[in-house]
Amino acid sequence: MNLNDLPEDEYFTSGHTACPGCVAPIIVRNMMKILGKNTVVYTPANCLLVFGGTYPYIAWKVPYFHEAFENTGSSISGAARAFKKKRKDVTVVGIAGDGGTYDIGIQALSGAAERNEDVIYVCYDNEAYMNTGIQRSGSTPYGASTTTTPPGKKIPGKLEHKKDMAEIMRAHEVPYVATMSVSHIADFLRKVEKAKKIKGFRYLHVFSPCPTGWRFDPSKSIEIARKAVDSGMWTLYEAEYGEIMDIYKPKKKIPVEEYIKGQGRFRHFTPEMIEELQKWVDKKWERLYGEKP
Amino acid sequence: MYEFRFHGRGGQGGRMAAEALALAAFLEGKYAVSFPFFGAERRGAPVRAFTRIDDKKIRTKTQIYEPDAVIVLDESLLETEDVLEGLKDDGVIIINTQRKPEEIELSREVRCATVDATSIALDVLGKAITNTAILGAIAKATGEVGIDSIEKAIIEKFGARLGKEAGEKNAKAARVAYESTVVGKSKGGKQFEPKPQWLPTVDELPLGGSIGTMETYAGLVGIGSFIENKTGGWRVFMPVVNDDKCIGCKICWFYCPEAAIKMVDKGAKTKKAVINYDYCKGCGICANECPTKAISMEREVKA
Ligand SMILES: Cc1ncc(C[n+]2csc(CCOP(=O)(O)OP(=O)(O)O)c2C)c(N)n1
Ligand code: SF4
Ligand code: SF4
Ligand code: SF4
Ligand SMILES: [Mg+2]
Repeated sequence: MNLNDLPEDEYFTSGHTACPGCVAPIIVRNMMKILGKNTVVYTPANCLLVFGGTYPYIAWKVPYFHEAFENTGSSISGAARAFKKKRKDVTVVGIAGDGGTYDIGIQALSGAAERNEDVIYVCYDNEAYMNTGIQRSGSTPYGASTTTTPPGKKIPGKLEHKKDMAEIMRAHEVPYVATMSVSHIADFLRKVEKAKKIKGFRYLHVFSPCPTGWRFDPSKSIEIARKAVDSGMWTLYEAEYGEIMDIYKPKKKIPVEEYIKGQGRFRHFTPEMIEELQKWVDKKWERLYGEKP
Repeated sequence: MYEFRFHGRGGQGGRMAAEALALAAFLEGKYAVSFPFFGAERRGAPVRAFTRIDDKKIRTKTQIYEPDAVIVLDESLLETEDVLEGLKDDGVIIINTQRKPEEIELSREVRCATVDATSIALDVLGKAITNTAILGAIAKATGEVGIDSIEKAIIEKFGARLGKEAGEKNAKAARVAYESTVVGKSKGGKQFEPKPQWLPTVDELPLGGSIGTMETYAGLVGIGSFIENKTGGWRVFMPVVNDDKCIGCKICWFYCPEAAIKMVDKGAKTKKAVINYDYCKGCGICANECPTKAISMEREVKA
């Protein structure tokens, strides 16, 4: 599918209250164009839940449910089983943030994946708990400043590197795992379309720059997403039953320094910190591409 | 006790302004407190912050319902709510606008000070961040704190966060605003209809039931009803499409977070991008991503 075939219909409407320049609504409105009307959506507590609807006003135009933070994996499992029992062919989607995926929802998610439930699980990854005011999560990259990892004289921001959630999901050997970014439109559309057709557990992990929490100018959201891919900070691939089937390699790998430039959360970075982050990227690169960068 | 209520949008820095104002009063040897109103409010959504100043210790911890001064950082808020609510009869309203006090229509005729803080901020800081410029106008219009202490407080507070140079620039923005603030009287008589709350009966919304789309006395509710929430007022800059340059590639249509762009057949070879200003929040993504630079972001003057 390319942009010309992408339907006009919106299932996530204007009027939502996301910050200007937020990537999460770009992800969900375009994803929903492909998943279509015959979809039900589950969301735990996160930005998307709040900006997509505060009772009784809702931006979604499909059945939409709010479940508890820990429960996305189990809620969508139950819904999918119920539809199966009723012989209804409905796409069941759970959309959670990184906090709701990497940390708080990981057990329910892992269980649903292991049982190969017939659902799509989407993680929109803005690398911190944004809805509650920017606390670090297992997804927050090394060194980033958040309200719970403020850089000071002794501690330079978050001490740990980002956890590789997509690899954890790939290890579940489920039918489909894909990492995505809206900066790469054709790749994004293709993966959603593919996920829709597959039966069984599908995990889509989408990079989601957050101008408010990462502290950058909202017009740069897509530019930053693109630089994340070009630097190797975020890698686009897809895996079927645990095997990587396709991996995108940037034509020209840019240094992480170029990616972190212009993001307030990295403003305090010293040359040593940049080097530490670069080492992490290079190691990941070698692991995923099987060659040195 | 003198009480200030700030009305702004998330991200405009109303809370920082309220805090800097308290600090300025403190530097003059007074007691002062400030705090924001917390909600699940995002950037661009209407928010409030409060400051109290007194010669003695302040024990009151509530929100401010009967302020002596109301400060409006974003004049589009004047259209959607009665910002004067509870303002004392001898109180003053301070508005960031290009208009003069007598051109402003409010629910009552009150003392009114206006200042073009957005232009001053763009001029002095290069950014449309108006929360320091407005402090100069507050000093001028209320006389509750001196402009010198405002400058000191800004250098201390903003300097600590943004660096010394930025602190001084922000202090300068306040000084420029102080000198250009116009004090006069507003017009009165504007009517506001309070938005009714939807309180469904058990028949309309059975226990454990869910809601479809329903037309109610409070407007549309249920799925898809957010469409009635017009977010265009959040904008500072507006995207303008140059049809001659637009090649109809749909990239902006894909990227608009607000679904505020439609591709419209205008009789040319390709469709043209058309922006729905009812919802566009002015993020600038479309302008930044357009491959032919057909979209430019222009300063919007709100009436
Ligand atoms: C069990 C539980 N703990 C904490 C919260 C408070 N809470 C609501 S949203 C949120 C942050 C969500 O972060 P994430 O999943 O990354 O989504 P984001 O807001 O960043 O999009 C938190 C901590 C909650 N609702 N439930
Ligand atoms: S805080 Fe970040 S993720 Fe949340 S709505 Fe704002 S920009 Fe989007
Ligand atoms: S991105 Fe530019 S060229 Fe493409 S449709 Fe939009 S305005 Fe036209
Ligand atoms: S400025 Fe942002 S919200 Fe407005 S039309 Fe462009 S992309 Fe959409
Ligand atoms: Mg998050």
